[in-house]
Amino acid sequence: MKTRMLSLPQWRARRADAVPAPQGTWRLAARISGRDLSLLVDRRAALANLGLCLALAVVALLSLCLGSLPLDPRTALNGLLGQGDVMDVFVVQALRLPRLAAGLATGAAFALAGCLMQTLARNRLATPGIVGIDNGATAFAVASVIGVGTSLAPPPMALVGAATATAVTFALASDIGTRGYRFIVAGIGVGAVFGALTQLMMARVAIDAANAAYPWTVGSLNTRDASAVLWLSAGLLVAFVGAAGLSRAMTVLRFSDAVARGLGYRVKACRYLALAIAVGLTGLAVAVAGPVGLVALIGPEIARQLSSPRGVPLTASVLAGALVMTAADLTGRLLLAPIEVPVGIVTAIVGAPFLLWILLRPSSRFVS
Amino acid sequence: MLGLLLCLALMTLASLLFGAGDVGPAAAWSVLTGTGGEEARFVVESLRAPRTAVGIGVGMALGVAGALIQAAARNPLAEPGLLGVSAGSALAVAIALVLGASAATLRVSVAQLGALAGCLFVLAVARLNGVGGDPVRLVLAGAVLSGLLGALTSLILLVDQRSADEIRFWIVGSLAGRRLDDLQSMLPSLAAAGALTLAVARPLAALALGERVAVGLGHRPRLVRLLTVVAVALLVGAATAVAGPIAFVGLVVPFAARALAGPDIRRSLWLALPLGPILVLGADVLSRLLVAPSEMPLGVITALVGAPVLIAVVRAHRLPAV
Repeated sequence: MKTRMLSLPQWRARRADAVPAPQGTWRLAARISGRDLSLLVDRRAALANLGLCLALAVVALLSLCLGSLPLDPRTALNGLLGQGDVMDVFVVQALRLPRLAAGLATGAAFALAGCLMQTLARNRLATPGIVGIDNGATAFAVASVIGVGTSLAPPPMALVGAATATAVTFALASDIGTRGYRFIVAGIGVGAVFGALTQLMMARVAIDAANAAYPWTVGSLNTRDASAVLWLSAGLLVAFVGAAGLSRAMTVLRFSDAVARGLGYRVKACRYLALAIAVGLTGLAVAVAGPVGLVALIGPEIARQLSSPRGVPLTASVLAGALVMTAADLTGRLLLAPIEVPVGIVTAIVGAPFLLWILLRPSSRFVS
Repeated sequence: MLGLLLCLALMTLASLLFGAGDVGPAAAWSVLTGTGGEEARFVVESLRAPRTAVGIGVGMALGVAGALIQAAARNPLAEPGLLGVSAGSALAVAIALVLGASAATLRVSVAQLGALAGCLFVLAVARLNGVGGDPVRLVLAGAVLSGLLGALTSLILLVDQRSADEIRFWIVGSLAGRRLDDLQSMLPSLAAAGALTLAVARPLAALALGERVAVGLGHRPRLVRLLTVVAVALLVGAATAVAGPIAFVGLVVPFAARALAGPDIRRSLWLALPLGPILVLGADVLSRLLVAPSEMPLGVITALVGAPVLIAVVRAHRLPAV
């Protein structure tokens, strides 16, 4: 009884109305079956996510409407529900919706992987595309497509490739180096080798097979495979839950290892887990859309600009990545219609100047 | 040096003897000794010999260009292919083709203009505050620039299918089917660049000791760098116009030359002359043999050789000063 008495004041102090919410946050409080529950919501992050959701909805609707057969929004939405003209329903449900879904899933996966890798390497340039993971996954997936000594489907092969490339890069870099740069350049080298292997395989197959695989090797949503999209969606769900579990550890990992360890986090375990999630996501996403690596850089960057600097913007990255991918695909489809520009080329043209700007800004803080 | 020349002679011989087609080493050897059948004679004399000659020219150009740009940027990782210089010439050629120009001589000068733009970008980046001191960041910026230029080239080819067909075999980087005309179109640029190189070799060696030392010795660093960049653009542009973009030769050759001759640029430039052709011809022979009876792009082999060198340079605990 005595302990109960002692703990009572503290319990009171923690009640929702007793302490004002920290600046820039909302406190959501509720009393459920006699227990006070409260949740601090970062105001800026919440608004950013809301805004990204709205933008995403607009772009998604546009990508259902626009194309070689333009539909007005009402027709498109009716088509989505299976009502209206048969042709419209077919265009929306069978052609545009799967493509939209593939775009959303790959964009989200690339961006989440990018955000995780940037945080664990403490370098904004350490995204899967730049350290060669994309190229490794592509090489293995191409091997699967053209049937070089394997019977595995592209998604698992891409996973194996992504893991192989990461392992090789890590082994070669031996340590992360100052600000992860040694790791990144080792990754560029590994990526070059895997890129060469991809070309080697493309050179060996018949010309029509190579032509069919070509758009995919530069990154395109046109050649997506339904089963690969399913693999990716399942993987994305698992990964997002895992990443959400890691988000506190990620926030702390942005500081030095010593700080994180002092706060009681197992730094190595967190890092390996985050890396595993990032590698898995990249592999699965590459199996769908090919190497569209720059989304992994642009998505988290947008998220970071919009969200508060308090935490690692995992959710915002997912939304921003899906937004960038869908918008880039839409642009690629419309820009030079009827020719379709692969989404990888669009993101490269938009993303590269941005990347250069990050790299060369005179007063840049490189560490995220 | 003597050993390298011997090695180069062996490589030339190998390039004449081995091929992806039916004419094997024995048949080719009989052509060289004066006998041999009609078909073998045709293959060796009008296919392999010009190809070998072009390979020697391209190798020399790329090797020397690599050594020069590393000295000008004072960065052991600088490489025309990695830094976007080759991608710049490829884009320029693609644009010229789309606009309707297809003459070989024009192609060389257009490629050189593209290379010059790429070089100036590299030099500007290398001189930026903060970036110049970190060799690795320059490479990263170059990789990004190459990616951007490559994407623009793909975009152009996508739009213009006719040019795409014309350019498809050139854009991957290969020596297949090159003729003596191609070598001739390179020669004036090679000569001019050679003269420039002789002029800047001494100042560059002084520049390696630092800007102030070079000024104190009576050199003008800005002028020297500008001339070096022009020489690099002439070399890379000519090589790219003929053989397409080939990466990593300019990284591996100066690396090997420094390992053999030490850090003095004047000696490593001379060594680059035989080393470049050795690498290019060796890679070319491999490209014919690995997937015979078809061939694979030369750039693939040089990437497979060069990427490990890149990693080795980065792994070296202290980056060697150039």
